[in-house]
Amino acid sequence: MKKSRKILAITAASALVFGMGACSGNPGTGSSSAGGDSKAPVEITYLHRLPDGEGMVKVDDIVARWNKEHPEIQVKATKFDGNAQQMIQRLETDVNANNGPCLGQLGYNEVPEFYSKGLVLDVTTEANKYKDKFSGAFGQMSTGGKISGLPQDTGPLVYFYNETEFKNLGITVPKTLDEFKTAAAKAAVAGKYIADFTPDEVAFWLSAQTAAAGGVWYGTSGDQWKVQVDSPASQKVATFWQDMIDAKSVLTLDRWGDAYGKALTDGQLIGNIAAAWEFAFLLDPLNDTPAEGQWRVAQIPDFGAGAKTGPDGGSGVAVMKGCEHPVEAMQFNAWFNTQVDDLTTQGLVVAALGNPKTPAKALKQFGGQEIMKELATANKNLSMDFAYIPGFSAVGPKAVETAAEAAKGTAKVADVFTTAQQASIDALKAAGLSVAQ
Amino acid sequence: MSVITSTAPRRPMSSADQATSPEGRTKTTGRQRMGRNTRHQAISGWLFALPFALAFLLVFVLPIISAVRASFFAQVASGGLYGGGERQDTFVGFDNFVTAATSLSFWRGIGRVMLFGVIQIPVMILAAMFLALLLDSFMVRRPGVWRLLYFLPYAIPGIIAAIVWSYLYQPELSPFAGAFPSMGGSPFFLSPQVMLASMANITTWTYTGYNMLIFLAALQAIPTELTEAARVDGASGWQITTQIKIPMVRGAALLATLLSIIGTVQLFNEPSMMRAVASWMGNDYMPMMMAYNTMMGQISPSGSGPASAISILIAAVAGVLAVAYAIVQSRMSR
Amino acid sequence: MSTVSTSRTKRQSSARPTPPPSLAPRRTARVITTIVLCFVLVYFMAPVVWLFIASSKTTAQLLSTGSFMFADLSWGANWSALLEWTGGNFPRWVLNSLIYSCVAGVAGTLISVSCGYAIAKFQFPGRRVLLAVTMGGLLMPVALLTVPLYVLFHQIGLANTAWAVIIPSMVSPFGVFLGQVYAESSVPTELLEAARVDGASEARTFFTMVLRLLAPAMLTIFLFIFVATWNNVLLPLMMISTNELKPVTLGLYGMSTYFSPNKGAMMLGALLGVLPLIVLFLSLQRYWRSGLAAGAVKG
Repeated sequence: MKKSRKILAITAASALVFGMGACSGNPGTGSSSAGGDSKAPVEITYLHRLPDGEGMVKVDDIVARWNKEHPEIQVKATKFDGNAQQMIQRLETDVNANNGPCLGQLGYNEVPEFYSKGLVLDVTTEANKYKDKFSGAFGQMSTGGKISGLPQDTGPLVYFYNETEFKNLGITVPKTLDEFKTAAAKAAVAGKYIADFTPDEVAFWLSAQTAAAGGVWYGTSGDQWKVQVDSPASQKVATFWQDMIDAKSVLTLDRWGDAYGKALTDGQLIGNIAAAWEFAFLLDPLNDTPAEGQWRVAQIPDFGAGAKTGPDGGSGVAVMKGCEHPVEAMQFNAWFNTQVDDLTTQGLVVAALGNPKTPAKALKQFGGQEIMKELATANKNLSMDFAYIPGFSAVGPKAVETAAEAAKGTAKVADVFTTAQQASIDALKAAGLSVAQ
Repeated sequence: MSVITSTAPRRPMSSADQATSPEGRTKTTGRQRMGRNTRHQAISGWLFALPFALAFLLVFVLPIISAVRASFFAQVASGGLYGGGERQDTFVGFDNFVTAATSLSFWRGIGRVMLFGVIQIPVMILAAMFLALLLDSFMVRRPGVWRLLYFLPYAIPGIIAAIVWSYLYQPELSPFAGAFPSMGGSPFFLSPQVMLASMANITTWTYTGYNMLIFLAALQAIPTELTEAARVDGASGWQITTQIKIPMVRGAALLATLLSIIGTVQLFNEPSMMRAVASWMGNDYMPMMMAYNTMMGQISPSGSGPASAISILIAAVAGVLAVAYAIVQSRMSR
Repeated sequence: MSTVSTSRTKRQSSARPTPPPSLAPRRTARVITTIVLCFVLVYFMAPVVWLFIASSKTTAQLLSTGSFMFADLSWGANWSALLEWTGGNFPRWVLNSLIYSCVAGVAGTLISVSCGYAIAKFQFPGRRVLLAVTMGGLLMPVALLTVPLYVLFHQIGLANTAWAVIIPSMVSPFGVFLGQVYAESSVPTELLEAARVDGASEARTFFTMVLRLLAPAMLTIFLFIFVATWNNVLLPLMMISTNELKPVTLGLYGMSTYFSPNKGAMMLGALLGVLPLIVLFLSLQRYWRSGLAAGAVKG
């Protein structure tokens, strides 16, 4: 008697837990789907994690402008307060519970993962209508020929440097890897460093350099992935950094540790290869110091493939599964992501074509340089061949671990690529995808 | 669990303790009105317990059931480049558990956690007990202010504590860390040899005041008449402390230690915050970090299935350690 | 009943009873104790002092000036940055946090103490199972339960409401244990039986007598739930998406997840978040010593 009651209780409880699909089939986006009144506005929800910080044009303000002009398509933007992985998890949970937003911000490296999990819609036809408004990053939202959204911002690698210090040291912006090494050695003698090997950023930072050297990490052969992290292009990148680490002519500080900011304010670090979007905050620690206004942006040295750079981050806005109005969602998506000047204030290197104004803050920090022009050049030189695999998120942390060893001298930079090679194969296999041996 | 009851401060035994079987019918002491009394006890007992029991069901039991269910499933693609753009929720039996239990990094993490706990827990509990006894003695003016100040670290949000300690540990920024030698290319406090101690320090800083409050509450439950009577009988302050106060807070100490053991096995904030300034640690330095990052897709195989399996294993380890501790305690106190 | 009330009132009035002459310690002991406590205080407070100083600095000054030295006192600038990052919602979020933490603290304390009391003092079928299951619940890492909990709350329509933060925060297995350990040691069974003989209902006994006896434990449980609710980030991160419902720590966390957070502003936000707790703590002082009636029946 007592036992059966207990079982009953558990069954009831589990019915509550497992019966999720049954009762929740009423997504928040479907206000006008019932048919009845065809003039009721369509509602589009949009989940993002743009900073909305000081001095930026707020997302809600941009959206309000759209809503005013488009009474028939009302957009509600929601800011997510966690980090990128947490946002991905939230999107995945919501979409699976039939409660997802219509539009969601996705890093380019997450697009294949989302596609392979069936979490995004195929909006190829819609997307192609807007193709000529965007740079080559358009292709980053495409997976196996199917497009799931539009690009928002890009992260071509560029070279940030302190022009005044360079002049004092009698060096110029290096054009080749050999010149770079020579300049680094010369600066190091004076206790200055023109670059920092950043272990915590290697997954994107080194893969982008492989791309700049004309290589890729992942290719396909038929219906199978060809993992080639360890390619000759990568070897070249590895040697470049290993030589400088061995010569102690670069720093080896984590990018997101406070020691990096300290090296900047001390004037020890006077240059670095970094993603273009760093323009928005890299120099913040130098505000109101003598070094303010001394920095400039240039293209990265030739990694052996000519005027080419690689993608380090950036994201797009994808249409999520369960969105009932993909056409309208894409209309807003295309409009929003072409508000170039507004998005630039959010610290983005916008993927849409256009001539964004250099924000006042950047003009001050970069001594009046029209950096947006330089960044646009980098955007144009961005390698279009580089693609990510589903499960790339699990590759990065492994690579970072090895890179930290390389920074300490207990491993080689080349080992980072070997680790990433193995981690990539493991991730693909664990997800049940095919890998060519 | 019964251990807690049996080592609780010795007071007149409650009626609940006198019964050995939960129903209490078989071993009644022959009082009259027992039938009515039993029913009265059962109904009142459940009514008092019910609000919590219901909330617990909703907040713990149901999510745990769904986590257990998830641990037997995996999302698998059907080959190819993208698995055809869909993944199947597939029943995989104990595969997720086997993967986790045979993973070297899981057991390395457990090893680190145990090493951490063996040293950190006794230090923290003894320190908390010591402070509580001092504040409870009449040797301190304004104990309320001390109590508040010692408890404050617990009130500092974790993300802020992370920033504070990472500043204090990095030689470039810290007022003191520069005085320590670097170890194998890493700053002293962030090196593999010292990392566990650095984290233990953060935990101790955060939770000593918290545990002190538990002990203080227990000490406050001791009637002053008891200590006064002992004093009248000629007992010294030391004797009162060791023979009255400490035995009276044993229940609370056991509880605090058990919670610390469980908390240590689930240690997450400290290793995550330290990893931000010491990337050599990797994202599976401790088991809970491994579970979380598996769930977040940062360790493959990833997803809720493998992550749930890891957390169930963590729960099992924590349970075994807690029970082992409780058994050892009750043996020793006999 | 009548035997209890008289002797309890004596002690409640003052925050701390004066020591009986026989317990007054020697002066040297006092001095040594104070010195020890001061050393411990430096350990606990140094990081807090650092936080206070840091809240007055800009991000650049945090890197370029000495850790324990004041620089320009940019509290004003940090405050306006804080307001801008939070879209002017900072005061509102503090209020939200206060409401969530207070409601969860009060309700959570009541239900856990009542459950602990039931386990300690009543004998009901399933009592041991309840205790064991509650303990078992502690073993499962909460961070991993947030997602299933969110799915569940979404189904019952409570996601993105204040309840989604309050209800889970109320449930404190630890509170039940503390309540139980306490009820066992400081609620004499004789007292309950006397009350029953007097004809008082169980509810009346509980609310008028037992709760007072358990006051120190309740205060402790309340503080723990309050602080835990205040500092919880993962739960509201999952549950809350409406700006007006966010608690303050979530907003601070949101700032910290960007590449270049305004750290000075975050520190200020955190510091302002600790203030209500200090006020609360100080105002609860006088209730701290009130649960001493345990020995009262003896007389």
